[in-house]
Amino acid sequence: MTFAQAVRAPQARRVQHRLHRQAVPHHRAASRQAAATRVRTTSWEIRSFLLASGVIVSCFLLVLLYLAQATAVSAAGYEAQRLAAQRDELRRQNALLMIESARLDSPARVETEAQRLGLVRAATIRVVVTEAAAATR
Amino acid sequence: MTATISHTRLRVLFAFFAVASLLLSARLAYWQTAGRADLLSRATDQVHSDLVVAAQRGVIRDRNGAILATTVELRSLYAIPGLMTDRDGKDTRPAVAAALAPLLGERPEVLRAAFDSGAEWLFVRRRLPEDTAVRIAALHLAGLGFEMEPKRLYPNGAVGAQVLGFVNDDGVGQYGVEGRYAEELRGTPGRLVVARDPANRELALGLRTAVPARNGDDLSLTIDLAVQNAVERELAAVVDREKATGGAIVVLDPKDGAVLAIASSPTYDPARVGSADAEALRNRAISWTYEPGSTMKAITVAAALDKGVVTPSTSYQDVGYAVIGGRKLCNALCKVYGPTTVTQILARSQNAGAVFVASKLGAADLNAYLQAFGFGQRTGVDLSAETGGIVRPLAEWYPVDLGTISFGQGLSVTPLQLASAYAAIANGGTLYRPYVVASRRDADGEHRTAPVAVRRVISEETSRTLVTMLTITVDNGIANAAALKGYSVAGKTGTAQIPSDDGSYVDDAYISSFAGFVPAIDPRMVVVVVLEKPQSKLLGTVPAMNTFKAIATDALRYARVQPDRP
Repeated sequence: MTFAQAVRAPQARRVQHRLHRQAVPHHRAASRQAAATRVRTTSWEIRSFLLASGVIVSCFLLVLLYLAQATAVSAAGYEAQRLAAQRDELRRQNALLMIESARLDSPARVETEAQRLGLVRAATIRVVVTEAAAATR
Repeated sequence: MTATISHTRLRVLFAFFAVASLLLSARLAYWQTAGRADLLSRATDQVHSDLVVAAQRGVIRDRNGAILATTVELRSLYAIPGLMTDRDGKDTRPAVAAALAPLLGERPEVLRAAFDSGAEWLFVRRRLPEDTAVRIAALHLAGLGFEMEPKRLYPNGAVGAQVLGFVNDDGVGQYGVEGRYAEELRGTPGRLVVARDPANRELALGLRTAVPARNGDDLSLTIDLAVQNAVERELAAVVDREKATGGAIVVLDPKDGAVLAIASSPTYDPARVGSADAEALRNRAISWTYEPGSTMKAITVAAALDKGVVTPSTSYQDVGYAVIGGRKLCNALCKVYGPTTVTQILARSQNAGAVFVASKLGAADLNAYLQAFGFGQRTGVDLSAETGGIVRPLAEWYPVDLGTISFGQGLSVTPLQLASAYAAIANGGTLYRPYVVASRRDADGEHRTAPVAVRRVISEETSRTLVTMLTITVDNGIANAAALKGYSVAGKTGTAQIPSDDGSYVDDAYISSFAGFVPAIDPRMVVVVVLEKPQSKLLGTVPAMNTFKAIATDALRYARVQPDRP
C-alpha cells in the first residue's frame, strides 16, 4: 500500500460503511456513486499534492535564483574592485607621465640641453612690423 | 541483571540539569537582548573596515597651463624582518640588504642594521621614484612590501620655488601659494565603510557607506613659467657674478597687478626642503625690506607733480648739497650740477634736487603720497609671509626726514611694493593689488580672480609726464645701461646704504636696484631688480640694469611684443 492509499484508507472505509447502511435494491447505483466520490477525492488529493510540491519547488527555485544572483553580484563586485584598482593604477601612471612631460618641457631643462648641444642665443631678432607689411600689399 | 537507580539521585540529577538549563537560558536571553549590541558590534568589526579616503591635493599651473606642482601616489617600501626567510626557514636578511643596497644608494650594513633593529615593521624608504620601485618589485624579495603615499612633485625643480612654497611631510602647505591657499588646495577627505572578506577584498553585498572625498581646488597662477625661468636664471647669474649676499626680482603686469614672475636669492629646491637653510626659505620679494634709495625719487617727483608744486621744467640752483633740519644732505660724491630742472633731478639722480622737490611738497603731502602708493603697508598679494615695510607716522618725522625720505632713506620697502608703485606710474595712475592666483577651479567650475584697483594715486596727466621724465632718465640719464634696442624704457636706479644695528649705516656696502617698465608707452611689464651688497658697490646699479635688460629682452621676445622704436 502506498502512503497515499494508507492516508485515504480510513476515509474510504467510512464511505463504504455509509453505502452498506443504504437500501440493498439500489446497490448498483450506489456503487456508481461511490466510484464517483472516490474519483473526486483522489482528484483533490492529487491537486493538493501537486500544489504542495509546486510551492516547495518554487521556493527552492527562488532560493536558487537568489543564491545565483548573490553570487553573481559578489563576483561582479570583485571584478569591479579589480577594474577600479586597474583604473587607479592607470591614472597614477598617467599622472607620472604628465609630470615627466612637464619636466621635459621645463624651460630650464630645455636651456641646459640647448647649451649641451652647443646652441647659442640669437644675437639679434628681426621683427617685421605688421602694419608696415600690410600697407605694402 | 537489572540495575536500580535511587530516586534521590534522579532528583539531584534532574535538579542539576534544570538549574543548568535555566542558567544557560538566562545567559542566552541576556545575549539576545541586553548583550546583543555588543556582540553585533564585535561581529561587525571583524568584517567591516572604516577607511578615510584621502583627497587629492590640487594642481598648480602657470598662466599657460604648464604644471608647476602636482601630487601623485608613490610607492613606499616597507619591511617585515620576521618574514625574511626562504622556503627552508633560513634567514635572508643579509641577502635582502645586499640586493636592496645598490638600488637605494645605501650601504648594505645600514639596511641590515635596520632589519636587525628588532622592529616588526619598518619603512625602508618612503616615496620611491617609480623606476626604483619597479626594479625592487621585480626582485620579489620576501619580507618586503609597498604602500602608496602621496608625494608633492615640482617638475620644474627649483624654478618658482619662492612663489610656490612647498608641502611638508604632514601634507601641510608652507610658504608661497602652497601656504596661502593651503585650505583650498588640500580638499576634504572622504570616508568608506565597507564589508570585507577574509582576503580583505571589498564585498559588493552588505553594508557600504561611502562619503566621497572632495579633491582640492586646482589653481592657475599669473606666473609665466618662461618669464619666471628667465628671471631666476638672470638673478642667479648676477648674484654669482657680483658675489651679492642676496637679491630679488619682481615682474608685474602694470595693467592689472598680475605677478608674472618673482625670484629671490638665496633660494631652495622644494624637493629638498630639509637641506635648505632658513634664509633660503624667505621670499625676499615680499618678506624682506630695504631702504630703496634713489628709486624713491620717482615717487617724490610724482607726488610733487600731482600736487602741482613743480613741473618738469621747474629749476633750482644745485650746489651739491641741501640743508634741511640742520643737516647737510649731499649728492652722490657731493657733485655740483648748477642750474637743474626737475627732469634733470631724475636723470642725474640728484639727492639735493629730491630734497628741493620734497621741500616744495611738504612733509604732510609726501607722507600722504607714500601711503597712497602703498608704502608702509602690505600690498595684499596672495602669498604667505608678506611684510609691510616701514614708513614712520608723520608725527614721528624729524625735519631732516623730509629730505632723506625724498631720496629713499629713512623708510623701508619690499621689492613688490616698489614694483606695485611703479606699476601705478606706468598704467596711468591706478594702484592695483598684486595677485598671483589667476583662477581657482573646483567642482562648481572656474572662479577667476578679478583684479583689484586699490585707488587712484596720481592723475593720468601726472603719469604721462613722469613716464616721459623716466624715459629721459634711461635714454639720456643715469639709467642709460637699461636702454633696449627697439623699445622705449622708463626707469630709475637706486643705491642705498644699509642700516646697521647701532643706528648708523654699514660702511662700504650698498643695496643696488633698478625699477623700470617697458615699453614706456603702453607698458607690458614692470621689473624691479634688487641686489644686496654687490661687489660693484656704488656701481652696483649697472649689473642691476643689465639684469633688467636681459629679462626684458627675453620676456618681450617671448611675448612677441612689437618694438615701438626703430
